[in-house]
Amino acid sequence: MASPDVHHLFHHPITDHSFSADRQTLAVARDNNVELYSRSGNNFTLQDELKGHDKTVTSVDIAPSTGRIVTCSQDRNAYVWEPSPSGWKPTLVLLRINRAATFVRWSPSEKKFAVGSGARVIAICYFEEENDWWVSKHLKKPIRSTITTVAWHPNSVLLAAGSTDAHARVFSSFIKGVDARPESSVWGERLPFNTVCGEFLNNSAGWVHGCAFSPSGNALAYTAHDSSITVVYPSGPDEPPNAVVSLGTQLLPFLSLIWNGESEIIAAGYDCEAYRLRGNEQGWQIVGSMESKGRPGLGEMRDESALNMFRQMDLKGKSKDDTQLKTVHQNTIATIRNYDEAGGIVKKFSSSGVDGRVVIWST
Amino acid sequence: MATTNWRTINVDLLDPESPANFDISSLLSTIASVSASEVQTLSSQIKQLLRGGDPEGALRGALENAPYGGDAQAKEVHLATVVETLQSIKQSEMSPMLSRIYGSEGGPETLDVLMKYLYKGMSHTSQPSLGRSSLTPQATGFSQILSRGGGEGGGQAMSVLLSWHEKLVEIAGAGSIVRVMSDRRTV
Repeated sequence: MASPDVHHLFHHPITDHSFSADRQTLAVARDNNVELYSRSGNNFTLQDELKGHDKTVTSVDIAPSTGRIVTCSQDRNAYVWEPSPSGWKPTLVLLRINRAATFVRWSPSEKKFAVGSGARVIAICYFEEENDWWVSKHLKKPIRSTITTVAWHPNSVLLAAGSTDAHARVFSSFIKGVDARPESSVWGERLPFNTVCGEFLNNSAGWVHGCAFSPSGNALAYTAHDSSITVVYPSGPDEPPNAVVSLGTQLLPFLSLIWNGESEIIAAGYDCEAYRLRGNEQGWQIVGSMESKGRPGLGEMRDESALNMFRQMDLKGKSKDDTQLKTVHQNTIATIRNYDEAGGIVKKFSSSGVDGRVVIWST
Repeated sequence: MATTNWRTINVDLLDPESPANFDISSLLSTIASVSASEVQTLSSQIKQLLRGGDPEGALRGALENAPYGGDAQAKEVHLATVVETLQSIKQSEMSPMLSRIYGSEGGPETLDVLMKYLYKGMSHTSQPSLGRSSLTPQATGFSQILSRGGGEGGGQAMSVLLSWHEKLVEIAGAGSIVRVMSDRRTV
């Protein structure tokens, strides 16, 4: 396993990050702005800033093929940024929400995106040609609380959403004229807008932090604040799911997760490191951390001379510097994303967190 | 003109769509209600197990049948049962017993319930310590103040709970504590 590729961008939390399709551009949400970094050699250098939001930017996503960037913020707005000769040009999206926008993701078709919000709605946004702007339709029922996360099914119609009312739900976001009629799947056959295809709650009802469909779209995993990961295998429309596997871990809660194939999940969160889980309909287990313990470079950084030891004891009253965590990330990991994947198999993934680092890991 | 301070009005209460006017319990899985007498019966069964020299069975029985649906009194009774069970188990037996429970079917959930009782026990270390309250029934609020002031009996129960807590975190991890905080099924 190659050692992770660490980029310490700044001393400030990164709420979300996204790489462009060619992996040359990195967008990170920092305070009220989104910063665009471009790769030069092994490093990322600040290239541009997307200024426009006047409150904390909560989420950013770059569409892989069109290169459009969508951002959303606590100021209740979302912008779609398009490159133009004079720089990035923002287009305001009519979200019609009265609380913060919390999470945004492009659909795989890149014709739509979903914005989760504190107003207990998910705004499904699409481009209206006649008026030349982005409009939204609201997924409302039966959401009872803030949406913390959304994830798209590969067919661009089904959307999973996690909420602070402790439910993970699967909705249809079918929009006439934008989407092709989806093939029927285990989640349902006819899927008009706002069909609830599944509603899941785990036993201890912690709120949901992250969710993701498996590469085939036939399973949904979500992670909640009760330190659990739940994987749902639906059996068919209007039938109880085949299996709902809930794994309570010994760790602090996970905030974000991705699938690697159909039988592996990588999840990270408050424990500052990413973990690998494996399983199937019978059950899931944590296999271990993605970090190789005793990484070279960690111990060597410190000067182990006796002089240094006594100096440390004099200065700090202890000989060991224990202000550093043993993990690569020095604080909570907020987001993990696919970096290099083909056919559902993730070769590399990236993580960002409160410590201002973006790290690229190989699996 | 108008003397109302508009900024202090809780607008959420005026909005029928607001979550403030919504009963959150309708979203959660339903919990069967448990009567106080059922809890009493269970309590005597567990004490019987304890006298019969099966503390592990007693502990399991107590934790697997936690009265989530009971009223405050039923929960108090069960807390007393659990704490009594915990106190009767020797310090050296704690870790092996917890590992055995953790490894068994449904074990992690059982230990989460134990964690709930540890925190609940620590939040009021009054009555269970010496079984005093069962002899002289007192209003709960009053007995709490008493033991906080006196401290003796409460301190002993507290040290038992703390050493259980230490052992439990070693086995069930910090995740167990997080689950206690996020779980809506209270004991």
